[in-house]
Amino acid sequence: MVVLSAARWVRSRLSDRFWRVQEVLKYARHFRGRKNRCYALAVRSVRRAFVRSTKARREKKRFLRALWITRIEAASLEHGLKYPAFISNLVKSQVELNRKVLADLAIYEPKTFKSLAALAQRRRQEGFLAALGDGKEPEGIFSRIVHHH
Amino acid sequence: VAKTSLTSPPWPEVKLPDPVEEAKYHAAEVVRKVNGLISAGQYGRLFAVVHFASKQWKITSEDLIMMDNVLEAECGDRIRMEKVLLVGADDFTLIGRPLLGKELVRVEATVIEKTESWPKVNMRFWRRHNFQRKKIIANPQTVLRINTIEIYPCLS
Repeated sequence: MVVLSAARWVRSRLSDRFWRVQEVLKYARHFRGRKNRCYALAVRSVRRAFVRSTKARREKKRFLRALWITRIEAASLEHGLKYPAFISNLVKSQVELNRKVLADLAIYEPKTFKSLAALAQRRRQEGFLAALGDGKEPEGIFSRIVHHH
Repeated sequence: VAKTSLTSPPWPEVKLPDPVEEAKYHAAEVVRKVNGLISAGQYGRLFAVVHFASKQWKITSEDLIMMDNVLEAECGDRIRMEKVLLVGADDFTLIGRPLLGKELVRVEATVIEKTESWPKVNMRFWRRHNFQRKKIIANPQTVLRINTIEIYPCLS
């Protein structure tokens, strides 16, 4: 075998290993234990941290909505209404405020929230009246109710 | 007939006021009073709930809003926000069903800054399957400053 240029067989070696390692370790500096110093442990921890943060970004929306609902429920109970009654009657009165804004109003604008609760209560009573009708007995022979005095 | 436990329903009887009379009272008293307050300028700081960039914001004057998208307006442009859901002051609130009229409220804002967000890392990893994908996302963001919220006394 004729080797024409031996130097070509020398492979290149990494010269910026330090910076590649620091790129990973900089995300691990606030961790606890050896995983904030040792690269092999840090790689695994940082990878799990990134994956958890991506998943958490989707669940944060769910948490926040549940938090808003809890706050609105507490505020509407202070005014004597339950949360499903409050929300359903507001929607039926064509008031399209979302839960984030309702929670903010309940915290910072109590008078406005009280007026919204009163609106929902009034719409609820009107709904009941519309559903109950006149309160009289229905006409017809077979649907007459017998009174025993 | 003797009253039993089933003569009247178990829920409390509620008498609602007469709709005609109530409409008259509303038009005469409430609307006039609120119009008077607005035209006399006897309100302090106004707050509004505005639907903008597919989100609802509770805003007052001089406050900053940051949205996670691009707005087709240059920095320094004045913007009028038209979808106003609620306007309130200390003594009165105007609730829109669902929106308030454009000749009733005017919300002005200025575009201050258009930047990108901090680089967020999106990573997916399945263990034991040699699968990992890492993507760095920097969303464009726009910062608006709400200049004024004005109301005009054109209630009816």
